[in-house]
Amino acid sequence: MQAQQRGAVREAKGRDLGTASNTIAGPEADLAPKSGHKVVRVGPDGEAWLEASRCSNCGAVMAERTRACRSCGARNTLVPFRPKAIGTLYSWTVVYRSFPGIKVPFVSAVVDVDGGLALKGTLRIDDHDSLKFGMPVRIEFDDAGGAKDKDGRPYVGFHFVAEGASA
Amino acid sequence: MSDTFIVGADMIKFGRYPDSSPFELAADAALLALDDASLTIQDVQAVFAGSTFNSASMVAQRMLQLIGQTGAPCFNVSNACAAGATAVRQAILAVKSGEYDVVLAVGAEKNPRGLMGGALTDGPPPEGLFGSVAPPSFFAEAGMIHVNRYGTTIEQIAQVAVKNHHHSTMNPKAAYQIETPLEEVLASEMIAWPLTKLMCSPNVDGAAAVIIVSEKKAREMGMGRAVRIRGSALVSDPFEPRTPDMFDPNTVARLGAAKAYEQAGLGPEDLDMVELHDCFAVAELLHYENLGLCADGEAARLIDSGETALGGRLPVNVSGGLLAKGHPIGATGVANIVEIVYHLRGEAGARQVEGARIGLAHVLGFASVAACGVHILEKA
Ligand SMILES: [Zn+2]
Repeated sequence: MQAQQRGAVREAKGRDLGTASNTIAGPEADLAPKSGHKVVRVGPDGEAWLEASRCSNCGAVMAERTRACRSCGARNTLVPFRPKAIGTLYSWTVVYRSFPGIKVPFVSAVVDVDGGLALKGTLRIDDHDSLKFGMPVRIEFDDAGGAKDKDGRPYVGFHFVAEGASA
Repeated sequence: MSDTFIVGADMIKFGRYPDSSPFELAADAALLALDDASLTIQDVQAVFAGSTFNSASMVAQRMLQLIGQTGAPCFNVSNACAAGATAVRQAILAVKSGEYDVVLAVGAEKNPRGLMGGALTDGPPPEGLFGSVAPPSFFAEAGMIHVNRYGTTIEQIAQVAVKNHHHSTMNPKAAYQIETPLEEVLASEMIAWPLTKLMCSPNVDGAAAVIIVSEKKAREMGMGRAVRIRGSALVSDPFEPRTPDMFDPNTVARLGAAKAYEQAGLGPEDLDMVELHDCFAVAELLHYENLGLCADGEAARLIDSGETALGGRLPVNVSGGLLAKGHPIGATGVANIVEIVYHLRGEAGARQVEGARIGLAHVLGFASVAACGVHILEKA
């Protein structure tokens, strides 16, 4: 997490920053870091956490912001929870050819995150031979490669690292 | 309800057609299928066109503009790689409804070039930042589950490409007709471990078409070359706990296969040949198990045994498969049905599966969510 993202920046009220009722927000509010991924939430102080939902009817866990449980169809049963930023490696591939401009190789990983959430992300690991199914990993929040939205607000992203590896 | 029959089936050679529109490709395939059935466009009472990237421009009507604007109703469907199978299935249902006796189903595509994928989402472009959203990675990750669970090796995965490229040398309509020995498959550019370039289906243009008729019409025309549709299933991916981050090609394929087998009153043991969705070499191994061609965990043994090669017990992808024939997205689901028809009629030339009476065609479409189409055909 970059220091400036931790700075006390007022949470922008609402997402429609272009609408008249929201344009009174000061310039610093416009630069508050925002989530760059469906599971990432960012608090008013820049603190980031993971958030997913569990259905109180069928127990299914999902990261998407759905209109109803996508497992059982029940409405108003999705209860948000905050998975711990740890998990185990479920599957991966080492990507050698990607879209133009994307640095390769990188490890595309699917991780079974604490609480029943499955999450795809990039696993930062130097030695690809050390990849093992079920190995423990940690989720670290980051600046999403320096990406910013069209108003210049920085995104908060995440990546995986092997548990025990130094950040 | 009475059966439906395929009385015309053909495709254009898959490949690059920089100077042709997708409508022209569709028209060429439709004319071939009409000629094959000895019918004219005036006989066609409805048109179903599958195309993933070109559907918005009314492929079916644009095709009729090129071969005869008869006023027949047109249905343009897009369903990722299952678009062609969806068009065929809807055509079958239209005939089964009793409203039409002769319908045309066509799949046509001019694919965008390069790696497909990319997100429409808000936020930073995910590729590289949050793993990979490119299709090879999804299938590589799904394949690695098989690697982990059963010890499947990269050599066994590569053998799928060796086999299907070998088959393609006997198919003049395949985009590529070259032998690719194991060493060459393994040595080609690594795309996403364990998939090398020769284990990924090439991105080409193409079109294929079938004419589907009622039993009454088929009898009128003579059953000599007719092919009976025994099963036609289309399903979507049911909820699976790790999806969509963990792509699951298996649940949806098993669901589609179960429905098609049930409709047909047949099982995998009754099949003489299979054309399945080998968009990536490892997918063929997964689908051996998904379609019940072998028990779970036995796919690598099945490819090693040679039983799925031409001349084996149950030849799979004798057309060359998507790996060698090419994968023009919306055309693929019609083309694999066309291949089965060639064989059931005994007209497949050098790659003919001897004595083939029953064949299964399978496609899997995905774009974070998934669709699966399965058709079971029988020599009438
Ligand atoms: Zn539920």
